[in-house]
Amino acid sequence: MIKIPTRILIVDDEKDFVEMLSLRLAEVGEKTTPAYSGKECLKVLAQQEIDVVILDIKMPGMDGIETLKEIKKNFPLVEVIMLTGHGTTQTAVEGMKLGAFDYLLKPAEFSDLSAKLEAARKRKDEHQERIRKAEVKLLLRRSGDI
Amino acid sequence: MDVEIHNLKPLAVASEKNNMKDIRLLLVDDEADFRQAIARRLAKRGLVPEQAQSGQECLTVLAKKSMDVVVLDVKMPGMDGIETLGHIKNKHPKTEVILLTGQATTQDGVEGIKAGAFDYLTKPIELDHLLSKIKQAHEKIMHGEAQQREAEFRAKIEQQMIATERLASLGTLAVGVAHEINNPLAIINESAGWMKLLLKREELAGMPRKADFEKAIHKIETSIERAKKITHQLLGFVQKQNSVYSQVNLAELADEAIQLVSREAINREIKIALQPAQTLPYIRSDPYRLRQVLINLLTNAIHATGSGGQITVTLEGLGKDVMMKVSDTGQGIPKENLEKIFEPFFSTKDPGQGTGLGLFVSKGIIEKLGGTITVESKLGQGSVFCTRLPQYQATDRDQTAEAHGRFDVLEKIKGEIVS
Repeated sequence: MIKIPTRILIVDDEKDFVEMLSLRLAEVGEKTTPAYSGKECLKVLAQQEIDVVILDIKMPGMDGIETLKEIKKNFPLVEVIMLTGHGTTQTAVEGMKLGAFDYLLKPAEFSDLSAKLEAARKRKDEHQERIRKAEVKLLLRRSGDI
Repeated sequence: MDVEIHNLKPLAVASEKNNMKDIRLLLVDDEADFRQAIARRLAKRGLVPEQAQSGQECLTVLAKKSMDVVVLDVKMPGMDGIETLGHIKNKHPKTEVILLTGQATTQDGVEGIKAGAFDYLTKPIELDHLLSKIKQAHEKIMHGEAQQREAEFRAKIEQQMIATERLASLGTLAVGVAHEINNPLAIINESAGWMKLLLKREELAGMPRKADFEKAIHKIETSIERAKKITHQLLGFVQKQNSVYSQVNLAELADEAIQLVSREAINREIKIALQPAQTLPYIRSDPYRLRQVLINLLTNAIHATGSGGQITVTLEGLGKDVMMKVSDTGQGIPKENLEKIFEPFFSTKDPGQGTGLGLFVSKGIIEKLGGTITVESKLGQGSVFCTRLPQYQATDRDQTAEAHGRFDVLEKIKGEIVS
């Protein structure tokens, strides 16, 4: 079975981290896009289709929580996994209340990250599937009216 | 830190209410008739004085029983009033002295005040006048005591503030260090992980010395784990400063903690028993932090106990406090280590096995929660870690945790188990 790559946007101001994680995820067949700030993240999301965002909480300028709020406002279907090097699970809890899918402490276990990525991707797919079905129903009802 | 200065008020009020009965008064005069007459009249007003007929006797009485106020005649045979005053001020500096002088010798009174007397009255004296002077002298003493207590209280608060500040700056440092280390650690982690994946590629199947590379990558990975444990514990130590308080059922909490370590205990054939108290008050505390401490104590106990050993968690109510004991039948702790075990980075485990932060963090947490943690140990027989917690710890960050109290708690703890 051919793996369908998950389209992942990695957002972190640590360029080396983004690069190495991208290489690692690419090696297991995912499609990654880098972004080095909250602003860049939103720009990418506006331009291309993304399934899951891996988002660092602590960034200069627009921080992770602010970025998360913007993502959820403008791209509600995109799932977000927060990465925190800060260890403060308090921020992670806040993020999840704001709609993030889950969080991971930095440095993260790759198996944890993979599992969470897959679950996030699954949730997004299912959500989109429900939307598609609802649209089909709506369409059928309309055509029935004619 | 909020210092409750208003605690001091009742002390000041008490001195205003100074009751005549509470004044310990000594009347010293060689003229017995005069002395007894004054004593009788004072007694009618509710103030019963002790009496002495000479300076010498006055000092003897004072040596046996401390007095608030001494009313002292200046003109006495033998040791006179001024000399007696000198001895009193020398040996009983807190005692106030009112001098009685003859009309012709008011100069003595002035001398007396210079030598430390509270005031002087000229004979013949008016009783009301004497009474009001005695009251004034007594008030001065009460005021002095209140001031002293206030000074002691302030000194104590200051010490606490210094300790708190030290802890806070240590916390700030810890967060900084942990964060700065976690980021490069994450980069190392991803790099090593990527290399590992690359080595699995078909094109590298025949790569020379591949096993050496794999071995080195494995070492990098285990070292990352080790460093990660330290940074996460340091962050855990700081996190306790943002405690979220809620009602805690200690028996439930202990049971959960035991469940979490049970697999390791079973592997080592160690039994863990919980002895809950008949009635145990609920306490208001930080359940997540307490769980962390308990898991830490249990994990330590497991590591110290050989197969077939027994660990017992005992819960006890002690008035308004609760006591939580973790006892093991393990190897015990040598005397020279007992003082060091709560210090940061002290560990007797092999390098890489323990961070030496577990007990340090636990102690910090328990103290933050207003409790104490102590240890008793006998070599070859085992150790008892005794944690005493108040039923309620007032806090400026007192907030209810019901909203996210049990949020993923187990998962988080598993990630942060202290060894």
